[in-house]
Amino acid sequence: MSKPADWTVGVDIGGTFTDIVLAGPEGALFVHKTLSTPDDYGRGIATGVRAVLEGQGIAASAVRRVVHATTVATNTVLEKKGAKTALITTQGFRDVLEMRRLRIPEMYTLKYQRPEPLVPRRLRLEVTERLGPRGEVRVPLDEATVTTAAERINAAGVGAVAISLIHAYANPDHEHRVAEILRETLDGEVYITCSSDILPVIREYERTSTTVINAYLGPALRHYFESVMGHLRAIDVDAPIQIMKSDGGVMTLEAASDRPSYIVESGPAAGVIGAARTAADVNSITLDMGGTTAKASIVEGGEVARTADYEVGAGINLSSKLIMGGGYALKLPVIDISEIGAGGGSLVSIDAGGLVHVGPESAGAHPGPVAYGQGGEQVTFTDAVLNLGYLNPDHLVGGGLKLDTDAARAALMEQVAKTLKKEALDAAWGVFQVACGTMVRAVKAVSTYRGRDPRDFALFAFGGNGPVVATAIAELLEMTHVIVPPNPGVYSAYGLLLSGIEHEVTRGHLVRLAETTPADLGARFGELEEELAQLMADEGYGVGAFDAEWRADTRYAGQAHELTVPVPRTSDGAPDFDGLQKAFGDEHERTYGHQAEAEEVECVTLRVNGRVAAEFTPDKIAVADGGPPGSRAAYFGPAGQVDARVVSRAALVEPVAGPLIVEEYDATCVVPPGWQASLDDAGNIHLRVM
Amino acid sequence: MASYGNTDPITMEVVKNALSSIADEMALVIMRTAYSSIVRDSMDYSTGVCDRHGRVVAHGMTMALHLGSFPDAMTQLVSQYEGDILEGDIFVFNDPYTAGGMHLPDVYIVKPIFEAGELEGYAATLVHQIDMGGIAPGSTATFATEIFQEGLRIPVIKLYEQGRPNDTFFKIMSLNSRVPDKLLGDMRAQVAACNSAAQAYAKLVAKHGSETFRRLIDDLHDYAEHVAREEIRRLPDGTWSFTDYLDGLGDDPEPLPLKATVTIDGDNMLVDWTGSAPQVPAGINCPSPFVVSTVQMMLKCVAKQEIPNFDGFSRPIEIILPEGTLVNPTPPAAVAARAIIGWRAVDVLQGVFAQIVPDDVPAAGEGGVTFPAISGWDQGRRFVVSETLCGSWGALPERDGVFGIPNPGGNLTNQPIEMIEALYPIEIQRYGMLENSGGPGKFRGAPGIVRSYRMLNDETLVVLRSDRKHHLPWALGGGAPGTPCLHIVNPGPGQRLLPPMPSDPVKFGVDEVFLHVGAGGGGYGDPLERDPAMVLEDVREEQLTAAYVKAVYGVVIDGEGRVDAAATAAKREELRGGNGHAYLDFALGALGIDDFLVKDGIVHYD
Repeated sequence: MSKPADWTVGVDIGGTFTDIVLAGPEGALFVHKTLSTPDDYGRGIATGVRAVLEGQGIAASAVRRVVHATTVATNTVLEKKGAKTALITTQGFRDVLEMRRLRIPEMYTLKYQRPEPLVPRRLRLEVTERLGPRGEVRVPLDEATVTTAAERINAAGVGAVAISLIHAYANPDHEHRVAEILRETLDGEVYITCSSDILPVIREYERTSTTVINAYLGPALRHYFESVMGHLRAIDVDAPIQIMKSDGGVMTLEAASDRPSYIVESGPAAGVIGAARTAADVNSITLDMGGTTAKASIVEGGEVARTADYEVGAGINLSSKLIMGGGYALKLPVIDISEIGAGGGSLVSIDAGGLVHVGPESAGAHPGPVAYGQGGEQVTFTDAVLNLGYLNPDHLVGGGLKLDTDAARAALMEQVAKTLKKEALDAAWGVFQVACGTMVRAVKAVSTYRGRDPRDFALFAFGGNGPVVATAIAELLEMTHVIVPPNPGVYSAYGLLLSGIEHEVTRGHLVRLAETTPADLGARFGELEEELAQLMADEGYGVGAFDAEWRADTRYAGQAHELTVPVPRTSDGAPDFDGLQKAFGDEHERTYGHQAEAEEVECVTLRVNGRVAAEFTPDKIAVADGGPPGSRAAYFGPAGQVDARVVSRAALVEPVAGPLIVEEYDATCVVPPGWQASLDDAGNIHLRVM
Repeated sequence: MASYGNTDPITMEVVKNALSSIADEMALVIMRTAYSSIVRDSMDYSTGVCDRHGRVVAHGMTMALHLGSFPDAMTQLVSQYEGDILEGDIFVFNDPYTAGGMHLPDVYIVKPIFEAGELEGYAATLVHQIDMGGIAPGSTATFATEIFQEGLRIPVIKLYEQGRPNDTFFKIMSLNSRVPDKLLGDMRAQVAACNSAAQAYAKLVAKHGSETFRRLIDDLHDYAEHVAREEIRRLPDGTWSFTDYLDGLGDDPEPLPLKATVTIDGDNMLVDWTGSAPQVPAGINCPSPFVVSTVQMMLKCVAKQEIPNFDGFSRPIEIILPEGTLVNPTPPAAVAARAIIGWRAVDVLQGVFAQIVPDDVPAAGEGGVTFPAISGWDQGRRFVVSETLCGSWGALPERDGVFGIPNPGGNLTNQPIEMIEALYPIEIQRYGMLENSGGPGKFRGAPGIVRSYRMLNDETLVVLRSDRKHHLPWALGGGAPGTPCLHIVNPGPGQRLLPPMPSDPVKFGVDEVFLHVGAGGGGYGDPLERDPAMVLEDVREEQLTAAYVKAVYGVVIDGEGRVDAAATAAKREELRGGNGHAYLDFALGALGIDDFLVKDGIVHYD
């Protein structure tokens, strides 16, 4: 638990804004939004942190922990601003990176353009060596070929090198020797990543791609972290700095410098972690709707769902392998978040057949919706909901952003209502419904697509627009409970405070259970546990400070895709094969609706995970008063236009029935007729069907 | 705007999305639970949702060329079982002549969906099963002469009757496959997908009420028709033809023409396949659904907006498929390797549409997947692994052909090398591009793909179906055709060049090598007009050599790796008189093939 003078800072960097949350004793919580400084992000962070500390009269030395999430890694890939990178592969396989898995994310196209590989062919160099699938050496490493490659790399002046050899997941020796030779030959600043260190699992394209991404990000992120650290130290914040990983754990800044590929989805992960800790006792589906996309994820028993089927730079990730191929495969654990192109700035269009679409094209922050008055001409989702009366034109970002309702209505009439032969309000309602229908797909991608019934879950809504659409989406899926946490508009920064230290080490090991023994498998887990202990020691946690959980990616022998299940252990500490078989069968049944008890089960990858819980607990959050109460006309489809009360969150101490609009500094929560809003001790709004 | 009955366009959009999300969910269930590599990694399967009449209302995002696979099959099922379709039934079939199937490995599993006791729709799946018995492992041999040799024919029958499995039939299936565990595993995946879709679809019907829902579906068919008509109307009126050729069968192949004539008349489109070769006594005859798919796919490819998958979109399209030809065979014609016709039909249509909308259609690509089925024995167990090899497109008027991409007809993936080596006694020695390959042009075709297999066990068989060894991927706008597709046994001195579709399985011993070289895409425009800077970039990328670009593009690169402008101008002037087929000399020479002759655009090998 925190001591009285201890303060924790969460910093979430997005493209436009840097969100800062400062948490201290007795639920004290201060929120600050400041413009990001893309030329040197560390400066903006330090300025913001100092502003919030000085504003509250808190000494920099009272900050005991800084937790940070950032989109810098993602943007480095999207904007192709990573290091000039070379790749070393096994003879015969330099084009694996470029050919990928072939599949593209579109079905009917003759003009598709692939993303350029992160390493051009001239820097993809082959060395002579060959391993077999059990790690056996078929052709020894010819070191002369490594030396030749090193000379070419030197001449090209690269900033990073990725090393990915065929079957290196089963035997890292050749890769490590190549790295050793390179270190002897190259400038010490060159960043080197081995596939057997970053992702020792089978499937050469995915492993190579992941290794390349890590190398590509390495130099830029190392520089970025140095800047963040330097600026914070300069304002006398001496606390340890932790970085949120894509899987929701945090790692030290130093560890993140070695493994930047682990933090690519750090921002979205923070929000989901916040949900998992805030509503640990309910199963929930998170819905994070911002300006351009809506993201959904699932939390069961306080645990987030993770996946390794992920691509960076692919644009929108529907969490569906059916539309993979648009980005760069990054096969590291990320929180399984599905994303759909529907946000506040999503553009409204009508197709040749007369149907309405919302997104995926977006007006972004500039020019933004018509109502922003910054030159946006095409109707957006925000223009529609403004017309429905859900948003206060004078109170967005605490009044920092004024909206022009008339302009939005005129555009809506002209572009949508006329064509549909509808009244403006009905047209706006139609746009709202289509957007919600689209977002439902994101929610289904993490629930029904995985055999989960959304009715068994609460919808946990955040992001600037999440609480606007939450009840409508809940209704479409027959969900009856919605939770809106405090500070929903800066919720990712808040989620950072709730994250614990978490590490996972993995090892590819393809073996049928019938062909191995508990002792052998246990020994392999033991080795992984030692590796984990080392990582934890680097973070300052000794054995005993964390629990090591054994898990395995398993499948029926011959299947292509694996399910990750915990590995139960017998009293002597060895893996319990019967229990593992049962755990896998149950998970298969749960996910796909059937199991095949007669089939052999095989392991593909072994995992050991360790976690140290966060020291900050969200028991009591002081709820700030909002603006003055009032009322305005809001339109709810079949229920028509009604007078809805406008209140602040604090006013919900007694349950209040909709229609109701809860206005806050950073978000608006819409409560339609038929729903009731109440507040819990931690300041969460609960919406329930009456 | 268009009007469809009284249905609200908002509700239509929402229901349309809900239906396609059901089909996608089915596709995911199959992908994650299937056993055979062709399903799980190559994704050679399809899912669909149909209305109560069996008309398609959604199609999962997998194979474009399966698009037309459900209508005929559903027509057969509905007409044969009308009045006897009961809750809990699940149907299975594969026969092209009695069940609307395509070839025997494509096993359909279809579940009727009931809500409140009423038949409201169907969940339909089609999976390319790895082995259904027959004359050769993989059940896709080209060398059967009648369908009776190709494996187990299944008419439309009930796999489950009111929820009870038909154990007799499961036993028959199991006994007729070389790899029954994979067959049954994949069928389980299909059933699981149908069950999950049935639940979601029934809910959707219940939500809107049967009457409203049915009207909504009718309106969505009309909507799809309207969008398709708008897209056809956008095309110029007129009639265009194109003929392409398959290399042919056996050790001494004779070319087989495929011809399509497309007429656009207002918002109607007529595609006439008259002029295509008569059916042949080999397993490449193509039942009509697959050819219909190519037409529908091509319209979707050139459309400016997404044409929804409601069956209504096919109403403005008329297709003439003369009976007894490669594109509409009569029984007992063999059909196992029929996809080769589908791939070539895509090229034929591409050739037609390149005349109709020249900016939107590339030159011919590699010609569809090459399909080797590799089989043998490993530690006493039979193994069969089928590969779908593809990845090179032709050039567009403003852009080079894309490399490392599935054929437009099938959004397939490659199989991980490490996974193949972990599961089968095969070592893959190389996978990548063939340097100095592809069709030259102002914009060049993509290079060919190389994949080389070393067999680790004796008595390994390869059943091969390929094409484009003799008839090269055609070019556009004055570019050069692509480079040929070749299969070589034991490359090096004494190597053996295989015909595109050998009449028998090819046998390999320990350490023997099977080398696949895919065709390179056709070029666009005169190679001598290619920007020398782009040529230089190809050399720097080590995709083309300096000697090659000098001989083919007339670009001279000096000792410091820069373009020598004066020498280039002179060389280009010299080459305007023609350079024969210098680009083929390079591509084939590197493979040890020096004796070949190009006559009338066809490559002959000595």
